[in-house]
Amino acid sequence: MLSRIADSLFWLGRYIERAEDTARILDVTFHTALEQAQQPFGLRWDPILSMAGEAALFRQHYGEPNAHNVFEFLAFDPNNPSSIMQCVTKARENARTIRDRISREMWEDLNGLYFTLGNFNPQEETAAGPHRFCGRVIFGSHRFHGVTDATLPHDEGWQFLRIGSALERAEMTARLVDMQYRSLLEPASGVGPPDSHQWMAVLKSVGAYEAYHRQYHSPIEPERVAEMLILHPLHPRSIRFSMTETQSALRAISNTGPGFYANEAERLTGKVLERLRYDRIDDIFRSGLHGYLNDLIHNFNGIGEAIARAYFYYEVVA
Amino acid sequence: MNAALICLAGQGLFDGYEAGPFYDEMFGFPGRPRSHYARVFGRFNNMAPSQFAERRKLADLSFLLQGITFTVYNDGRGTERLFPFDLVPRILPQSEWAHIERGLTQRVVALNLFLQDLYGNQLILKDRKIPASLIYSCRHFRREMIGLAVPHGIYTHICGIDLVRDSASGEFFVLEDNVRTPIGISYVLENRLVMTRTFPEAFQEQEVLPVNSYPSELSRILRTLSPRGEAEAQIVLLTPGIHNSAYFEHSFLAQQMGIELVEGRDLIVDGVVVYMKTINGLKRVDVIYRRVDDDFLDSLCFRSDSALGVPGLMGAYRAGNVALANTPGTGVADDKAVYAYVPTLIRYYLNEDPILRTVETYLCDRRDHLSHVLAHLPELVVKSVGESGGYGMLMGPSADRSQIEAFRERILAEPRNYIAQPIVPLSQVPSYDAGSERMAGRHVDLRPYCLFDGQRVSIVPGGLTRVALQEGSLVVNSSQGGGSKDTWVLRGEC
Repeated sequence: MLSRIADSLFWLGRYIERAEDTARILDVTFHTALEQAQQPFGLRWDPILSMAGEAALFRQHYGEPNAHNVFEFLAFDPNNPSSIMQCVTKARENARTIRDRISREMWEDLNGLYFTLGNFNPQEETAAGPHRFCGRVIFGSHRFHGVTDATLPHDEGWQFLRIGSALERAEMTARLVDMQYRSLLEPASGVGPPDSHQWMAVLKSVGAYEAYHRQYHSPIEPERVAEMLILHPLHPRSIRFSMTETQSALRAISNTGPGFYANEAERLTGKVLERLRYDRIDDIFRSGLHGYLNDLIHNFNGIGEAIARAYFYYEVVA
Repeated sequence: MNAALICLAGQGLFDGYEAGPFYDEMFGFPGRPRSHYARVFGRFNNMAPSQFAERRKLADLSFLLQGITFTVYNDGRGTERLFPFDLVPRILPQSEWAHIERGLTQRVVALNLFLQDLYGNQLILKDRKIPASLIYSCRHFRREMIGLAVPHGIYTHICGIDLVRDSASGEFFVLEDNVRTPIGISYVLENRLVMTRTFPEAFQEQEVLPVNSYPSELSRILRTLSPRGEAEAQIVLLTPGIHNSAYFEHSFLAQQMGIELVEGRDLIVDGVVVYMKTINGLKRVDVIYRRVDDDFLDSLCFRSDSALGVPGLMGAYRAGNVALANTPGTGVADDKAVYAYVPTLIRYYLNEDPILRTVETYLCDRRDHLSHVLAHLPELVVKSVGESGGYGMLMGPSADRSQIEAFRERILAEPRNYIAQPIVPLSQVPSYDAGSERMAGRHVDLRPYCLFDGQRVSIVPGGLTRVALQEGSLVVNSSQGGGSKDTWVLRGEC
């Protein structure tokens, strides 16, 4: 497989996942905002902007954040490289450069999603709220993965796409937990206890609300939510699950057995995964959740770079 | 000639259809379809305009979803437009197609022998059948290719030859040869697919010859060129990249043939061998179906400012370590001044009379021709010899005075660069006119696609029918508002 094609498949996976994650967080945050409208401290928009990594850019274009401009910025703004529309556009561009290597069904599905989302009117949607738009994005991502798994040979290319989305998901989940944990430490206006409302929102945003109740039979507690999102072995949006996916895909590409590694990306992934398997949530909280998550994110970046060095941009000695 | 008026009962799509003074591919006499069009005419004529509009929407959606679009950048953010597709097929009876096929085969074989000779012993120049000055002044003649043995002696493996039917005689004429990197075969295949999805019933009760063998035939021919033998042949399609207007076709063909689609940056030449960069290191490449022009193929050999090709590629080619299709330098055979000599070439190399006629052509660097051209500019079409795609053209009858004067100056400044031909009144096919929501006659050409393996020329039945969708227009190029039609060759006698 050409390096350029593997690279494009990796980013195709990443962009689709980023679009879905952003849509999930936007949707749930808005619903939380509606339910909290009566509360004195209202909703803070900064965390969601910094989570998307574009807080500075937002200030530059919009000034004070509110429900409408945050939605517009994160969903539609062509100046925001991480906006949902930009992610879908870039996913499509990547797919287009490799459309001979992906299935016709994948291309038509993604192309259809691009046109469907492009037909949404930003003004109308901003007035109506994000649910309709975000729902379409989330469903679009699910459908894309379904079509992909059902029509693309599960060869190296499929593995690179899988790594792209798993790595992106791991990072977004880490950022999400970190954002919630920090707002827990510093309640908006210093009044009132930080309620379980936002943690519930976090669970809902990753589609883990029902699973949480089945697992813990307890009220929403920050430690349990964090445990579920970071360490759960089987929940498809947990960090551990995403890293297991990454590892299995990397090993399939290099044909490496358990206990060994073929390159730096596999070494880092294995190291991170060992921690996720054996660390306990109480210990993580004791030593500092923020530091733990930061370290994970740092490692995810390292893995991404190592994959690029091993497969996409290696030195050619000619 | 008076415009004949066809009157049909009811509110059909053909109400008020005027065949006009042109050869109509569907109607031999007003209101009476030719026998090979009878069934299709029946289907469309029984269809309510609203039903037809529904089918049109379906077809457009299908093209849109597949991304068969081109990008227009006039609004700052890049809008994607569809290549217009007209649902009324262009139909040829098999007997007529057999004649065309014989003519094309003859032409392709002769053009290839011509290229072999030009880059070899140059007997035709020594015999003075074609002026050496005409060849050496040709922009696409590549000195670098002289004396170079190419695999199986084939220069042009893939060519598209533009035909038009002259309304006056009803005969097909060759209008242009395209022996470098002809575009359009993907539309032939996609048009057929969309047509069978949109109008399945139109295919019933008659046998339309299939077109889908093209990719496997091309793949077979490319494989035979491999210097390492066919078994382990690594074949790639070299594209200029996603911003090229034919990118859809490049990726479509690569996918259909199951070969790697590469850009220049994916390839590297080391020790006169071409490699591609894969996730498992460098992998040797044997055959390149290149859709990058000669000029941009190798910055060490041709244009040094090109970033689209592969530096050192021609070195590997000369060493016989990689095959290129088509070979560099084939453009000399589709130079529009050389076109005038193709009948001579056919007689010289094959000792046969040309089966397909060519349009009378005036070469502006011949003094006697030039004076005729300059005296008759408003009646002629003037073409720049090295251009394609409808660029660098003057349509005398529709040009205004200043355009004609501008061309006069350009011709006088560089006579070798221009040829002129009388305007061919193209035949027409009923096509949907969105304005009147009825059928109207629109001019068409025909580009069949020919593949040559050194022994046999194989031609996809039919080819691409391009249609000038603007009323009265004789220019079918997509850049000038042209669309396309599915093209059928019907089996059996009609």
